[in-house]
Amino acid sequence: MNENNPVPPLIPPGDAAQKPNDTRFLPPLVSGERALGDDPAERVPLPHAFAAIEALLRHPRRLLFQLRQPGAGKLVGGMLFVALVCAAVYGVVAGTFSGGLQLWAAPLKIAGGLLISAAICLPSLYIFTCLSGAQARLAEVCGLLAGLLMLMTILLVGFAPVAWIFSQSTESLAWMGLLHLLFWFIATLFGVRFMKHGFAHAHAKSQAGVNVWVIVFLLVVLQMSTALRPIIGKCDTFFPTEKKFFLGHWADTLDKAGGSRSMN
Amino acid sequence: MVPKAANLSSFSTLLRGEATTISAWSAEWNARRFAAQMGLIILGAGIYGAAMGWWRAPEQALFVAIKFPLIILLTTLGNALLNGLLAPLLGLDIPFRQSFAAVVMSFAITSAILGAFAPLLAFAVWNAPPLEAHPVAAYNLIKLAHVGVIMFAGTVGNARLFQLLVHLGGGRAVAFRVFFAWLAGNLFLGSQLSWIARPFIGLPDLPVQFFRDNALKGNFYENVFHSVMQIFN
Repeated sequence: MNENNPVPPLIPPGDAAQKPNDTRFLPPLVSGERALGDDPAERVPLPHAFAAIEALLRHPRRLLFQLRQPGAGKLVGGMLFVALVCAAVYGVVAGTFSGGLQLWAAPLKIAGGLLISAAICLPSLYIFTCLSGAQARLAEVCGLLAGLLMLMTILLVGFAPVAWIFSQSTESLAWMGLLHLLFWFIATLFGVRFMKHGFAHAHAKSQAGVNVWVIVFLLVVLQMSTALRPIIGKCDTFFPTEKKFFLGHWADTLDKAGGSRSMN
Repeated sequence: MVPKAANLSSFSTLLRGEATTISAWSAEWNARRFAAQMGLIILGAGIYGAAMGWWRAPEQALFVAIKFPLIILLTTLGNALLNGLLAPLLGLDIPFRQSFAAVVMSFAITSAILGAFAPLLAFAVWNAPPLEAHPVAAYNLIKLAHVGVIMFAGTVGNARLFQLLVHLGGGRAVAFRVFFAWLAGNLFLGSQLSWIARPFIGLPDLPVQFFRDNALKGNFYENVFHSVMQIFN
């Protein structure tokens, strides 16, 4: 039935039983970079989340290879767990600006908000991935998104001591908001770089779709930070009573900061 | 063989920036050498701090002698994790300990230079009229001298750090990326810590204090921003 099929299978069935996701049988990468798993060190499994962190920082190709293997769900789960813990740690630091209720509300909002943002953006990421011609399964896309979140939040923990110093030495909500946004933006850049690296190995014909998705993701996270406000400021209620877009919220915060300064 | 960690030759090796030797030092943990470098930071920056604060009052000299090394150590510690994360992400695959050791070494070099200039600054202060007499020209001259010495020491320390990063692998492009990221982070945090730890020279109209009463109100960048806005308004 399939003898006359002019398109050869990408992965020979016999070999696929042993190495189901061996990318050596895929066409060469556009970038000319060697295929994942070419180096035997990349084939060494990642036994726990700490090994995944180490691999993400020092040997991202090893993590990318492992994310393509069957049973990568456990690894992805571990990565998401690390991301949530790191986001919560950074949240505690962010909460120290106001103290009190925010010490537990900020970590909950930051970790939860990131997870919800990722869940909201996952379907569109998968669609953009397919549209770009990448040969990545949904599980692999989940893994890359988990990698983005993990790297982003680990870097946020790296920024945490600096954020804490500023939290203790400034009273300006606008300034602290700006600082947290700057740290989050830098951390996201590295996370996105990892994710795009992964898509390059999935033989995407173009990165345009992923670039569009990155903008969507940034906007969603920014709006989430407004929808879950206050994250660093004080408030009587856990959730805001008024709905706003993030640009409107920023403008209001800056107006208030300008007003209080002119009163001083 | 026990390495000669804290002797004068290792001190001069550090100052000369012998990349091969320093690179080997950073790769292996040696408590004595690390203690010697920390001691160099505390001593060098401390003496310089004393020379800086002496003009205002002997008590101020003691305060700045404590604060100056403290700023350097807190900047190193505060950014240690971030620097360790950024190095592999920017292409320089060195362990966390090695990135920390590299930054400590560069600060040790900077502090050694500061310590060496301390007697010169102290001599200038000794020759200057008392601060209570509001000697504007002398104040500006000594302030500029401090800026010049700190700039020189910082530049040399960072130049040595860059040479070390080049030697640690990855070539000049990778070394530059890592160096730039570390420098930006250290300047960002160091400026704020210096802001919190003011006064250093100390205005004659204000009391001698370890920290100002409003040390934890506002930040360095807000202040710069407001100053710029006042110029344009």
